[in-house]
Amino acid sequence: MSKLLEVKDLAISFNTYNGEVQAVRGVSFDLNKGETLAIVGESGSGKSVTTSALMGLLPKPQSIIKSGQILFEGKDLVGKSNKEMQKIRGKEISMVFQDPMSALNPTMKVGNQIMEGLIKHQNMNRNDAKKKAIELLDLVGIPNPETRMTQFPHQFSGGMRQRVVVAIALACNPKVLIADEPTTALDVTIQAQILELMKDIQKETESAIVFITHDLGVVANVADRVAVMYAGKIVEVGTVDDIFYNPKHPYTWGLLGSMPTPDSDEDELFAIPGSPPNMLNPPKGDAFAPRNKFALEIDGVMEPPMFKVSDTHYAATWLLHEDAPKIEPPASVKKRMQGIAKTGGNE
Amino acid sequence: MARYIAKRVMYMLITLFIIATLSFFLMKMLPGSPLNAEEKLTEEQQAIVLEKYGLNDPIPIQYVNYLAGLVQGDLGISFAFSNTPVTDILMDRMGPSAQLGAQALVVGTVIGVLLGLIAAISHNGFLDYTSTIIAVLGTSIPNFVFAGLLQYLFAAEWELFPVALWGSFEHSILPTIALMIFPMATAARFVRTEMVEVLGSNFITTARAKGVSEPGIVFKHGLRNAMIPLVTVIGPMAVSLMTGSMVIEQIFAIPGIGEQFVNSVMVNDYPTIMGTTLLFAALFIGIILVTDLLYGLIDPRIRISGGGK
Repeated sequence: MSKLLEVKDLAISFNTYNGEVQAVRGVSFDLNKGETLAIVGESGSGKSVTTSALMGLLPKPQSIIKSGQILFEGKDLVGKSNKEMQKIRGKEISMVFQDPMSALNPTMKVGNQIMEGLIKHQNMNRNDAKKKAIELLDLVGIPNPETRMTQFPHQFSGGMRQRVVVAIALACNPKVLIADEPTTALDVTIQAQILELMKDIQKETESAIVFITHDLGVVANVADRVAVMYAGKIVEVGTVDDIFYNPKHPYTWGLLGSMPTPDSDEDELFAIPGSPPNMLNPPKGDAFAPRNKFALEIDGVMEPPMFKVSDTHYAATWLLHEDAPKIEPPASVKKRMQGIAKTGGNE
Repeated sequence: MARYIAKRVMYMLITLFIIATLSFFLMKMLPGSPLNAEEKLTEEQQAIVLEKYGLNDPIPIQYVNYLAGLVQGDLGISFAFSNTPVTDILMDRMGPSAQLGAQALVVGTVIGVLLGLIAAISHNGFLDYTSTIIAVLGTSIPNFVFAGLLQYLFAAEWELFPVALWGSFEHSILPTIALMIFPMATAARFVRTEMVEVLGSNFITTARAKGVSEPGIVFKHGLRNAMIPLVTVIGPMAVSLMTGSMVIEQIFAIPGIGEQFVNSVMVNDYPTIMGTTLLFAALFIGIILVTDLLYGLIDPRIRISGGGK
């Protein structure tokens, strides 16, 4: 399989009044054509910052890319000018945002918002763009697309708006679609519809999707591969099966264990104690160690490298070192992760 | 839409009626009479004059007479300005004031909006501070200071424009500049604040993610969303500009309505005071209607329900 997108050792910092916040500290992952990669993690783990960097939409001048490469079809996006990125954004890489209520321009007709990208990237005239926009609205399942074209966002419900946002993102058949928690702000039935929609569209357009979420149910539902982020790093990466049936990192155990499933009423949730570290002064060694009851002595001294579990599965925890004690995930977590995998999410 | 406007016009007429009534009685409570200044008249002559203008009638009768005239569009005859009908005086005086006001408003707002945009785009940069300083100076320094400065530099020193008086377009340039400083500074301030907020909102990120260019972001997506607070302040400002600035008109010796209003109050010229008050009031409520309609035009979310387009 050809690598469509390759992120290598990406590090991003924000300059604040208090000092340098290291939001992303050496993230590497890749994305193949037509594949869905889910990036999961707590708030503040650097998922959104990473994807902003892919889009070239990091807030300037506070943020700086300290190091690393973002190779899109072999070309490095880091260091491209805003003008060059404008040609890539919306055409090659596009994005679906978290909050459909605020993601659309309230004073512009929905049709015009969809047509904008078409006219810019595909050199379409207004008539062709209009036809294509109507097709897109139809594709994302909005009834009466002709009438809907001339309406404003406030005349749409939340779910319908998210469909419009998806339509905008898909307008130019992007090779990569970044979905930044696209279902978080929606209620459950609508969530399921939007996820179905994205899956269907992916089949049709063969776009690769980077799916950011903290909802493991969604991950089980849509993703091919999963990257777990913690404190600006990827701590575990693998296929959905790797992550759900054979998680290796204690943080992944925590994430899985803290998610309720239909048959989880018998026992308590396995909560992760404490809160993520302050990225102004990232801790020495393993950033997760202070919250990790399985932490080893070496976690406080040295950062764990990525240990290979299988060809598809890597995790950054000293527990995988050959000298480490053999520790199994807690029984409650084990049970729960099977429950999640079985139900395939929250449908 | 037409129904909505008709309804609003009805309300406007009621408002005007209330204003007419209030200002009529308030004016009657002013000390003195129109004859105070005319001490050369004998008592007999004064009685004749009062009788002629109906000022001896009981106040309720005067009020009814006044309203009767008003309904027919007759604002009465001025006491002070050589017996001309008040409508003529207003027409005559309104011209220069309205021209100055309109010029100052248009030029001031356009420059102000541009300054505000530049400031917002270079948020916290050098241009932002420059434009903020201009805005602060413009709102805090009274316009007669600028007027004096302009007269000194452009008229006295460099002799580019006439110092004062009214006539050709050139005569209107200096007073227009003096008048436009305030609307310019206000527009710059409002547009900057609003634009900074709008540029930080999510739909701007969406537009960026579509690959829209920076000018497109600012003008197509940003500006329209930043216009609402501006329209709110520009409306009333338009009225106060169009109805003349007494100070500026005095400094540039312009025969405008502001100057004339002050004079008519000084000599208790009842019909002129009333006429001018009503004109100002009518302009004001007219502008409020226009502002409300503009809101709907700018932001579809406030479009009038039932009507719309």
